[in-house]
Amino acid sequence: MPATLTERYISATVRSLRPDAQEDVRAELAASIADAVEARTEQGEEPAAAEREVLTGLGDPAVLAAGYADRPLHLLGPRYYLTWKRLLILLLWIVPACALVGVGLSQALSGAEVGTIIGESIATALTAAVHVVFWTTLVFVVLERTGADAGEAWTVDDLPEPKESGTARTDLVASLVFLGLVLAALAWDRLIGLVRVEGDWLPVLHPGLWPLWTLLLVAIVLAEMVHAIVLHARGRWSTGLAMASTVLALLFTGWALTLFANDLLLSPDLLELARTVGGIDAQSMHTLGVILVVSILAVAAWDVVDGWVKTHRDRRR
Amino acid sequence: MVWRMNEAVDTHLQELRRGTVVLACLQLLREPGYGYALLERLGEHGLPTDANTLYPLLRRLEKQGFLTSEWNTEESRPRKFYSTSAAGIRLAETLQQEWRALTESLSSLTEPDTAHEES
Repeated sequence: MPATLTERYISATVRSLRPDAQEDVRAELAASIADAVEARTEQGEEPAAAEREVLTGLGDPAVLAAGYADRPLHLLGPRYYLTWKRLLILLLWIVPACALVGVGLSQALSGAEVGTIIGESIATALTAAVHVVFWTTLVFVVLERTGADAGEAWTVDDLPEPKESGTARTDLVASLVFLGLVLAALAWDRLIGLVRVEGDWLPVLHPGLWPLWTLLLVAIVLAEMVHAIVLHARGRWSTGLAMASTVLALLFTGWALTLFANDLLLSPDLLELARTVGGIDAQSMHTLGVILVVSILAVAAWDVVDGWVKTHRDRRR
Repeated sequence: MVWRMNEAVDTHLQELRRGTVVLACLQLLREPGYGYALLERLGEHGLPTDANTLYPLLRRLEKQGFLTSEWNTEESRPRKFYSTSAAGIRLAETLQQEWRALTESLSSLTEPDTAHEES
């Protein structure tokens, strides 16, 4: 004999309940449904139609079971949603960007084609984004169901300062990612070499820079990081911050130009290879040198002007 | 637009009624009763409640200690009888008091006499 609708309904309801509660709910629900069907048949309804009506009135068994088990009918409730969203946005700003640049860099260093470099980095960044979303969400869904505390109670101190002029979190993240990559490139250049010529790794920077000049550059980069963090924390530019930005830009320009003028910036082996293997003549080399110097000056000038313009703008707010 | 308005009205009514089911159950179950009979009595008293809201609610209140339960197997159909515990009676009194206070407060909003007493 096939199971009746009521039996199927009750089984569907109790299936997901804790084993020790199942029998009790089953018996109670059976009695309640029988009572309701009986009340309808006493009014002259067909038993089959009455059963259908009663079960329809009770609604989706999964919803009823969630009610019995006190389970949420949502993935993430208001208790965790905002924490989840904030964390997810922060991670999505950082992780895929790092994956993109990291993979792109390592592909470029191992001499891959441009198409491969672009394809691989984008694919890796997308995969990283999907992983970030999935695992972050999974953790919060578990929190939602175990009722653990997200530990993020709001206070008035959390109110954001009015932020403009590039002091937003995205700027901080971008700065830190960029500066981190500079440090990584420095280390890579020192340990392995950034350029691959005819199967050999060659450093780009002059070997004579280590340790004093390299460490000086590391110090400048670390100072830039601290500057970015302080700027974000303050939420606005100030004369002191603009001054610090100017000093750092001048330090870097001084560092690069002093070394360049004394032929100490770039590795002589590399320049030699460019001449012999690359076939770049003295005239072109000179032009490239000018372009490099102008770029360094332009970046420094931009840094200085940017800081002071934003300081001026923030002061008027 | 009218349809949307009606929907909004329904939502507000539902929200106003939401907590009253608990109070009604605690009051009615001062005399032991079982699920379906309670559903009927709520309806008779003008507090129609969905079966799929009431049945889980009864178990939750039992788990929280405001109701006690007992299986009655004397009749042909075994039924689970609930009755309000001592803690449940205290909760009912608290809720009832709150309900009265709310009624008074809300009435005072539309009765200018009481509002002018202070001035």
